[in-house]
Amino acid sequence: MLNKFKEEFKKHKLQFISTDLNGIVLETDQTLLPIEKNVDIGTIHPFFFNLSEVLNIEQEKAVFHCIQLGETVEELTVDIEIYRKEDHFLIVIENLTEHYLNYQSLAQSRNETSIDSELVLLKNLELQERERFKNEFIQNFSHELRNPLTNIIALTNILQRSRLTEEQEGILDVLKNATSDLKLMLEDILSIAMIAKGKLALNPSVFNFEQFLEFLRLTYTARAKEKGLDFSISTDSAIPNYLEGDRLRLLQVLTNLCDNAIKYTEKGNVKLQVKLNQKRANTVSLRFSVQDTGLGISTENLDRIFESFEQLGRTEGAGLGLAIVKGLLQLMGSTIAIESTVEEGSHFYFDLKLNFPLHVPEIPNIDNARLKTVRKEKYSVLLVEDNEQVQTSLFKSLIESGEFFIDVVSDGALVMQEIIDSGYDIILMDVNLPNIKGDQLTKVIRSFPFKNIKNIPIVGITANSFEEQLRAYKKAGMNAVLTKPFDELELIKTMRRLLK
Amino acid sequence: MNISKKIVVLGHFGVGKTSLIRRFVENSFSNDYRVSIGVHILKKKVEVSVDETVSLIIWDLEGTDNIAAIRQSYLLGTHGVIYVFDVTRPITFQAIEEDLTALKSKVRNVPMKVVGNKLDMVVEEEVKKVLLENKISFDYLTSAKTGDKVNDLFEQLAKMLTLDAKQI
Ligand SMILES: Nc1nc2c(ncn2[C@@H]2O[C@H](COP(=O)(O)OP(=O)(O)OP(=O)(O)O)[C@@H](O)[C@H]2O)c(=O)[nH]1
Ligand SMILES: [Mg+2]
Repeated sequence: MLNKFKEEFKKHKLQFISTDLNGIVLETDQTLLPIEKNVDIGTIHPFFFNLSEVLNIEQEKAVFHCIQLGETVEELTVDIEIYRKEDHFLIVIENLTEHYLNYQSLAQSRNETSIDSELVLLKNLELQERERFKNEFIQNFSHELRNPLTNIIALTNILQRSRLTEEQEGILDVLKNATSDLKLMLEDILSIAMIAKGKLALNPSVFNFEQFLEFLRLTYTARAKEKGLDFSISTDSAIPNYLEGDRLRLLQVLTNLCDNAIKYTEKGNVKLQVKLNQKRANTVSLRFSVQDTGLGISTENLDRIFESFEQLGRTEGAGLGLAIVKGLLQLMGSTIAIESTVEEGSHFYFDLKLNFPLHVPEIPNIDNARLKTVRKEKYSVLLVEDNEQVQTSLFKSLIESGEFFIDVVSDGALVMQEIIDSGYDIILMDVNLPNIKGDQLTKVIRSFPFKNIKNIPIVGITANSFEEQLRAYKKAGMNAVLTKPFDELELIKTMRRLLK
Repeated sequence: MNISKKIVVLGHFGVGKTSLIRRFVENSFSNDYRVSIGVHILKKKVEVSVDETVSLIIWDLEGTDNIAAIRQSYLLGTHGVIYVFDVTRPITFQAIEEDLTALKSKVRNVPMKVVGNKLDMVVEEEVKKVLLENKISFDYLTSAKTGDKVNDLFEQLAKMLTLDAKQI
């Protein structure tokens, strides 16, 4: 041990050199560098260039660590000490090549790793930025589409109530189907963009699971039949009748899966199965599965089918359905799995944990028929809206319902005067008004000292579907907020509820 | 007349200090990255005018993200400084203001050139925009790989140093 240490120590060879103050060598040995007497040490190696100037202004001793005297570290790497005496320099060179070689390889891997991780980080940032930009764009774009679509839906509804020939009715049916498809697609696109941006929140409530499945059964039996397919649902009697969860989002997941299954199956059947995995105090774990006898998906495509927009072109027609399924399930804490064989069929499944209420709740039945009952009294409505198209279509559908008197204002600044002068039962307000924003206006109304004004129900209308925005509008004092495109029935229902 | 001037080249690791120097001194370039440690010193004569040359003694320092930690002895008696960053790696120029301030307190009153290297890897206009947005001022954008602006950089600095010398 001691010997080894001694060896190591001996390897640290030293060379001593003395020069005059101009760098001319006075005395030296040749241990490391072949230096002769009387030469300018500056010509031996650029390190020694201008030695006097380097040390002129400085103190009597300087230590330079890790000076690479050769072309590479391996050749000769040293520490150099220079002492400044009265009329000469004393230079001590210590060979530490081996020591510094170790340090070099350490630094090499440290730096390489550091740069690698930097690049990974950068790459991620870039991807995120692109993703963000894409989603922003898509979201804005679909918002733009909502306004005209709302008008089309409203006007189509009005048209349907006028006297039409059979042929016209047929055309109108096609028109209605097309617009409702368009609306669905638009919602799909928005869902994806919102899931991606983390802007979509779940909205859980208690719902009747039996009815839920029944709805799916009716819808898809009919649709499957059109293609000559069988559709069946099997479920487990041990599953509670009422469950708590986001019914709409679950519906969105299952309809997407069933739609796809039917779309890609030419003969055979599509099966929706719900099985109980586990039941605890007040939670159940359910296995949902959708199985078809369709085209199937090849292994190399399996990874891609869940990706969104980029893939649109390549997997033709597959649309956004599966990307939405993936995103929504992620939101619900689940993941989709898939088994598929080309030409034999596909099997999509996922497990979902849901709460269930211990007591069967009373759930109001939404009954469309009630909409038809004509009311005796009429309410006066103030419609605050600057977009003429929306104005017209809302105006028409409200008039048609026969329940309302309507005044229209298009400038937010005039609203207050109008309210004070005329007194209204309800206000319908576009949130995005030119001069003043609808939510600010609402705040003003809510702060009014007179009860009859302060408490007027306000329904906001917006193309914005961010949860947090909607919440902010409600916080400002709006009683309800409708997101475009909405159905006129939805609007009238909301108004009735508030007028009760 | 032949004078010599010492300049130090420093900046974060991997930004291309060694490559810039090698391009200037030997007119060569390698894609391999061999991490420098300590300091490697090279010399090159530069003609600053018809009858005037200056020997640049170029100190190629080990890269560091901590300017304050640079060994003071390396900076002794230096006449000029080149601070290099990598235009492809924001981390090498994000804290440039602090770095330069720290540097100026270590080497007082010498000319300093700030250089963004690896220009060949990016679109010049975009990089300029990013640097402008981040309020980063620089003297040169270079590429050791293509040689773009490398000679300009060293020659300009050499001229400045000889001018300085004359004024004294
Ligand atoms: N494309 C491109 N690559 C460069 C350029 N300059 C340097 N590189 C590459 O960047 C890596 C690092 O270059 P070096 O010159 O060793 O960097 P350095 O600043 O001396 O690094 P340290 O000594 O560790 O501080 C090497 O792989 C070079 O090939 C350039 O202008 N363009
Ligand atoms: Mg280097």
